[in-house]
Amino acid sequence: MAKDKKGSVLIVGGGIAGIQSSLDLANSGFKVYLVEKGPSIGGVMSQLDKTFPTNDCAMCILAPKLVGTGRHPNIELITNAEIEEVMGEAGNFTVAVKKNPRYVDEDKCTGCGACTENCPVKKAIYPVEEKIEIKLEPEDLERMKKIIEEYKGKEGALVPVLHNINVSYSYLPENILRYISEELDMPLSLIYQIATFYNAFSLKPRGKYTIDVCLGTACYIKGGNRILEAFERALGIKVGNTTEDLMFGIETISCFGCCGQAPVVVINEDLHGHFRITKVPKLIKSYKEVGNAEVEA
Amino acid sequence: MPKLKPEDLERITEKVKRTMILREGTGRAKITVHMGTCGIAAGSRAIMSALIKEIEEKDIKDVILTTSSCAGLCSREPMITVEVQNQPPVKYVDLTPEKVKEIFDKHVLSGEIVKEYALAFGSERVP
Amino acid sequence: MAYRANLMLCTCTMCVSVGALKIKKKLEEELKKHNLEDEIQIILTGSSWLCTKGPTLIVQPDDVVYQLLKEEDIPHLVEEHFLKGRPVKSLMYIHPEALHPIEKLHEIPFYRDQRLVALWNRGIIDPDQIDEYIARDGYKALAKVLKSMTPEEVVQEIKDSGLRGRGGAGFPTGRKWEFCRKNPNTPKYLICNADEGDPGAFMDRSIIEADPHSLIEGIQIAAYAIGAEKGYVYVRLEYPLAIKRLNRAISQAREYGLLGKDIFGSGFDFDIEMFRGAGAFVCGEETSLIHSIEGRPAEPTQKPPFPVEKGLFGSPTVINNVETLANLPRIINFGAEWFASIGTEKSKGTKVFSLAGNINNAGLVEVPMGITLREMVYDIGGGIPNGKKFKAVQTGGPSGGVIPSSLLDLPIDYERLQEAGAIMGSGGMIIVDEDTCMVDLAKYFLAFTNDESCGKCTSCREGSAAMLEILTKISEGRGEEGDIEFLEELGEAIKDASQCGLGQTLSNPVLSAIKHFREEFETHIKDKKCPAGVCKALIEYSIDPEKCTGCMACVKVCPQSAITGERKKPHKIDQSECIKCGVCKDACKFDAVKVE
Repeated sequence: MAKDKKGSVLIVGGGIAGIQSSLDLANSGFKVYLVEKGPSIGGVMSQLDKTFPTNDCAMCILAPKLVGTGRHPNIELITNAEIEEVMGEAGNFTVAVKKNPRYVDEDKCTGCGACTENCPVKKAIYPVEEKIEIKLEPEDLERMKKIIEEYKGKEGALVPVLHNINVSYSYLPENILRYISEELDMPLSLIYQIATFYNAFSLKPRGKYTIDVCLGTACYIKGGNRILEAFERALGIKVGNTTEDLMFGIETISCFGCCGQAPVVVINEDLHGHFRITKVPKLIKSYKEVGNAEVEA
Repeated sequence: MPKLKPEDLERITEKVKRTMILREGTGRAKITVHMGTCGIAAGSRAIMSALIKEIEEKDIKDVILTTSSCAGLCSREPMITVEVQNQPPVKYVDLTPEKVKEIFDKHVLSGEIVKEYALAFGSERVP
Repeated sequence: MAYRANLMLCTCTMCVSVGALKIKKKLEEELKKHNLEDEIQIILTGSSWLCTKGPTLIVQPDDVVYQLLKEEDIPHLVEEHFLKGRPVKSLMYIHPEALHPIEKLHEIPFYRDQRLVALWNRGIIDPDQIDEYIARDGYKALAKVLKSMTPEEVVQEIKDSGLRGRGGAGFPTGRKWEFCRKNPNTPKYLICNADEGDPGAFMDRSIIEADPHSLIEGIQIAAYAIGAEKGYVYVRLEYPLAIKRLNRAISQAREYGLLGKDIFGSGFDFDIEMFRGAGAFVCGEETSLIHSIEGRPAEPTQKPPFPVEKGLFGSPTVINNVETLANLPRIINFGAEWFASIGTEKSKGTKVFSLAGNINNAGLVEVPMGITLREMVYDIGGGIPNGKKFKAVQTGGPSGGVIPSSLLDLPIDYERLQEAGAIMGSGGMIIVDEDTCMVDLAKYFLAFTNDESCGKCTSCREGSAAMLEILTKISEGRGEEGDIEFLEELGEAIKDASQCGLGQTLSNPVLSAIKHFREEFETHIKDKKCPAGVCKALIEYSIDPEKCTGCMACVKVCPQSAITGERKKPHKIDQSECIKCGVCKDACKFDAVKVE
């Protein structure tokens, strides 16, 4: 370690980047002030299980660095503090730091944790979500019971269950998801993660007719995006939305595999091949009136 | 439905063989019924029905039955052309369902040409 | 019932989209009218013929094909051909350069130049009839394997055949099986990957729709070879017809005892479960597909461990593509040597391509490996429509690249395509003509991968966004000197730093476009022009007064009312109002709307 002092550095933020920079700079001889807003350093990495790309345990990497930072003679930790003002120029800064009160004597505290355990208002800091009572309409309940009966206990049941709900309601209603979370004993967060990952699921109600504009390569080079824009203009909504009367929703699809018929538009289950931009108004009109598209190809 | 054994595959193959031969165009013999307006007027529909009946009744699997237009000899309709594999085609004229039955038995099934109904051997010359 | 003719009506998704079912109804009516319903049978097949020419009808045994059928054609067709025996020439296929229609199906170049292995039964059988599949040597390979071969012999046979995975990467199938076979852990799983996510690819869908039993038999052979008792088919949700047909085929096979316990009395137990995907491109990646079936977030994980070591539910798992599996029954029936005799040195057998884009004969094509791109585009594909110039072929979708016209004589196999900067991929082949802008195409693929990136790796998630931003900048005329070099550098970095195939290949479309069409990028940056007339910010629509007949068609459709003019006098576009939507160009019958 270089012993000769070179000057001082202030680092803002005590996450892994701040910690590592502090250690590197301190090791090369700088006096480091590490300012962190929170009461302790460590940042997000301390909350992670594994790290990319090696899947190493996050804490195994971080912990030695935390200890190293805490006891490094060249590093001065200023936690629970924020920068108020920076004055001066490169080479000669003066920084005003506001240190928030900790209400604990830092010199005496050993960090044993006994006080947090005994704090009567602990729950105010880490609130436990009140259990929400899930109410389903009788017919929904019956439908769900059937689905759950079929899949309960099976490995990998979640996606098929969501498919089933999606078919029944054309979207995934919140109360139903809460219900299956209970019944299948799966965390709601996981269900939401899966539900928002796939394009097939929607958390918002969909229109009676979903207009899927194919944007596969073949459709794209034949003007699929212009067709999409034409639908957006005609219905006055952007892709991914539904008209106010819940009649039409516009979605895109990455490929229907109908490249020979490109460009393709699919409305619910009806495919319209060799689509032309000029057909848009007529098509919308015929769906509005008759509920299907007797538009000549 | 009992479980299939390997031998059953052959049985099923035999069952749908006729359809497959039709689609692959690999029959042992091919009968063409000439169905121009003249042919239909002269009764080639009856000839066609008779042939279909024959094929069905005798459960023949490797004979293709097809139609073509007027062969140019309208006065002697109804006509058929019989092509047995590796033999020149034979045209039969002035047919009735009974005659067709005979032709089917003798020529198509046994390879023996029915001379008294035949017009000519071979096809018209193609330039 | 002895029928004298079979009408093979293509009812693939595409033909249905242009009215094949209406044609069916009309045919039935007309046949009934002429009392032909007992003589002529209508068979609904899977994709059989030129997809752009749908609806199509093949008449057997006459070997005649009709295309682009309309309801009003049917009465005439039925009367002429099926009653009077006179094939209707006006409905037949005409090769783009020829004047006369070609009567016989097998003489049409599109058909003649193909070699069917995976698509052995296409257009010949009714996919809903297991008996017809059996009549075409169906399930004989399975019987042979179960009765007379050990699993090791099957693995060896496939290794000898040189079959490589048809999903994209081209890993030797036999070797993959061997790893799994030798793994002592049980149970083992076989997954068929039918999550055909590449935009512009429809091979897997077509195989399932035309011949689902081939896939089932292939899955069983593979399962026997690796020792699996359960198989999954992971199908895209966007393929409802394929799902329906495969489901029906599976239940028929179960009825016949071809799936279930003790198949063919050999003691081999096997069953298949269908799993519907939910629309995520990344699920085509092996590890993420496995997670998707397990019901976990479908993000890829580090390999190794490979699925053959630790796959579905932690067990050894083989994942094969649909086409790979559909090849197996033929390899077993005809032998490894026969299969290895087709193709090139390192790429054996045939490959199914879906030919689409700006080409006359778009459709499903199976050709021997090693065929040149030129044969593909001009002989089979019939060239570029409307007299336009060929510009490039895009292969491999968002993981692949473009091949310019200078490389038209390139033989198609795994290695050669890779050398050219593209990949074989699953077999999507999009032909683009001079009206396609390479910057726009690259932007399109980046927008796709950026949207589909699962977000796990920073390099892929943020890198694709950064590349997309630069490409958008270029296409909007805000490109700067150095952008191209930056794209190249960034592209390479994303390749190095990403974990799964999606990230490792997402920069390919951009890099290959720059490699082969650098000057087009430069024109966008330096001259602020889009030579192909695609990038909106760099083009202007105008009306050619010489060609304009004053028909008012464009005036009526313009959403901005930006076009003015009187009847019979040339119209004019108000540039300040024009939003460049292209509707006027589409509406004009006289080609008077110009793009510059």
